Amino acid sequence: MNRRILSLFLIGVLALAIVASGCISGGGTTSTSPSKTTSSPTATSTTTSKAGGKVVWASTQLVPPAERAFILNTVLPGFKKQTGIDVEFIPISYFDLSTRLAAEEKSGKVTIDLVGDLHGAMDYYDSQGWLMDLSNMPQLKGRTFISTFQKYSVIRGKKVYIPWMSATYVMVINKEAFKYLPSGLTEQDVIQGTDKWTYDAFLEWAKNIYEKTGKKLVGFPVKGLFHRFLHGYLYPSYTGYEVKKFDSPEAIKMWDYLKNLWQYVNPSSTTWDEMADPLLRGDVLIAWDHTARIKDAITKEPDKFVVVPVPRGPKGRGFILVVAGLAIPKGAPNKEAAWKLIDYLTTPKVQAETLSQTGFFPVVKEASEELPAGPLKVLAKGVAAQESTSDALVVMIPNLGKYGGQFGELYKEAFRRIVLQGQDPAQVTKDIGAQLDKLFQEAGVPLP
Amino acid sequence: MAKKVSKYVPYLLVAPALIYLGIFIGYPMIEGIKLVFYENGGFSLATVHRAINNYYFWPALRNTLSLVVIIVPTQLILALIFALAMNKVFKGRNIALTLLIIPMTLSDIAAGLIWYSILSPSGFMNKLLINLGLIHTPIQLFGYQFHTREFIMLVFVELWRSTVTIFVIVLAGLQMISQEYIEAAEVFGAGYWTRLRRIIIPLLKPSIQTALLLRTIYAFSIFGIVWVLVGRDIPVLAGEAYYQVTQIKDYGVGAFYALLIAIMSLTIGIIYLRLTKAEYLEVRR
Repeated sequence: MNRRILSLFLIGVLALAIVASGCISGGGTTSTSPSKTTSSPTATSTTTSKAGGKVVWASTQLVPPAERAFILNTVLPGFKKQTGIDVEFIPISYFDLSTRLAAEEKSGKVTIDLVGDLHGAMDYYDSQGWLMDLSNMPQLKGRTFISTFQKYSVIRGKKVYIPWMSATYVMVINKEAFKYLPSGLTEQDVIQGTDKWTYDAFLEWAKNIYEKTGKKLVGFPVKGLFHRFLHGYLYPSYTGYEVKKFDSPEAIKMWDYLKNLWQYVNPSSTTWDEMADPLLRGDVLIAWDHTARIKDAITKEPDKFVVVPVPRGPKGRGFILVVAGLAIPKGAPNKEAAWKLIDYLTTPKVQAETLSQTGFFPVVKEASEELPAGPLKVLAKGVAAQESTSDALVVMIPNLGKYGGQFGELYKEAFRRIVLQGQDPAQVTKDIGAQLDKLFQEAGVPLP
Repeated sequence: MAKKVSKYVPYLLVAPALIYLGIFIGYPMIEGIKLVFYENGGFSLATVHRAINNYYFWPALRNTLSLVVIIVPTQLILALIFALAMNKVFKGRNIALTLLIIPMTLSDIAAGLIWYSILSPSGFMNKLLINLGLIHTPIQLFGYQFHTREFIMLVFVELWRSTVTIFVIVLAGLQMISQEYIEAAEVFGAGYWTRLRRIIIPLLKPSIQTALLLRTIYAFSIFGIVWVLVGRDIPVLAGEAYYQVTQIKDYGVGAFYALLIAIMSLTIGIIYLRLTKAEYLEVRR
């Protein structure tokens, strides 16, 4: 009897172990190692479906489930219907993609036809000689790429990628705030981003709001992406650079400004991740954040808010532009089909759909015509106004790979020490400036 | 033969649990230790050095310990009071019991969000007070400048949310105490306090021990509520572990903080077991 229990138990444990091992390795079924993809049944179909061919598209963008679903259920079926070409969409991390590209290019067995990634990553891939020059590809008709994006996609004189999507960080104003504009600043100045819309005018405005309402109604997502405001907006606007002049007299002036401004900033800012909720709750009338993170507020109450360009500083109107592009690796097996996919993804219609589904902005001018009136138009108008200001000082997020997190953290630490704890800006910027130098050296990236 | 096999049966019965713990606790723990102490093919203290010198480490350790020291004893006292009150039969007892247990059904993140929407500057509480004409400007409870208020709010919400864990265990313990002891004490003229001190509390020790052990372990890893209500204004160890892994991508430092929480929980567990040796009156002859 006991022997039977023993053997039954052992069989149970064995079965459990098999199931467990299956579960553990099961996580790896989405593995993107080159060997796995080349030997997978889907890859074999590349050779069989000669009619339309097949595109293997590896992308670090549109990876979250909802965005991925948009690609798989809307974009790719539309493309297949139009061209008859199948696409295998591979969501992948930057680290995995660069490892895979390196391995494929080195071995000469390239399986990826199309790469979707951010500007900084494309710059790196090209510096390694992995991407082909796209200047001789057929013209993409019926669209005009926004010149800023066009300019950035040419790196070291080579057309490295085709701009695909963009994102940025903007200011959102609750229209009620216009009641408290300081003298000399008009609603139109703010909406159009004229010379009068400066950081000093912003400070006056915030002060005015506080004096008239008794409330601090300006807010920032200090728990969220606030470091982007520091390195991509204030620093370039005051010093002309993101990092190069981190501990300069201009930087000290900037920190003094921020300390002043902070007297009128809602103290709960340090507990906010993103600004849509505080805007909707009425905790703030003016907020700065990533477009995707304020989209909710605009969508829910499009008549209440307006999206405007950020103010300008002594050196210009610094702002971050996140640009994602599409590139074809050297030796890609199906580059003609990949080009057709690039063509499809950058059509005004698909660009407008991408904005409404994912919050990423179009890179072609004609897309705005495709947008229905309403919240998305409010957003797109604000973003376009910011991009077309004459004093625009566009900066990109430095491509620091694994050091990216530490980079942002150092700016937040400087803010905490100088503004919140009142430490000496000269000392703190010296301290943290040295750490930033070291970080860029380790990452092998020049100071932006 | 039959006797020989039966010797192994107990081991076989605990084997599934051990296998489970080995796979899901033991293996990740070894990997965690490796992340902290293993670098470039050998033993290294570089990660520990980086973790300890982190700007947020000491405040996080201090805050975590302060929260544990304040929250756990307060919860124990509150839970005892509630349990003693609920151990009696009175009208509306079931409703009171349900109300007390509701927070247990909420996750810490949900509890944090609920309280944030009540206590934030434009939350229900401020709106109510303003509409009643009691205040003119909202009471600010969150933000770096209001460190003490933030800390008090954290303690308050955590008390609201998790006192019930101790309460349920203590109440179960209370209900298991035989009425005979109490009646015998009454016969000998023992008043309420004497009964509580000499009979109820000693008999409750096993329940209190379990409840304290569970609550302290959870209190050391307090995170969700802190993250939602105050972010990094009040850094805590578990929050820093999360931040290091998800934002900074420094897995070693994250693992070190997690390991530290594990070591502290283990130490406290041992201390509890030593200090609160239960007196099993039923077995003492």
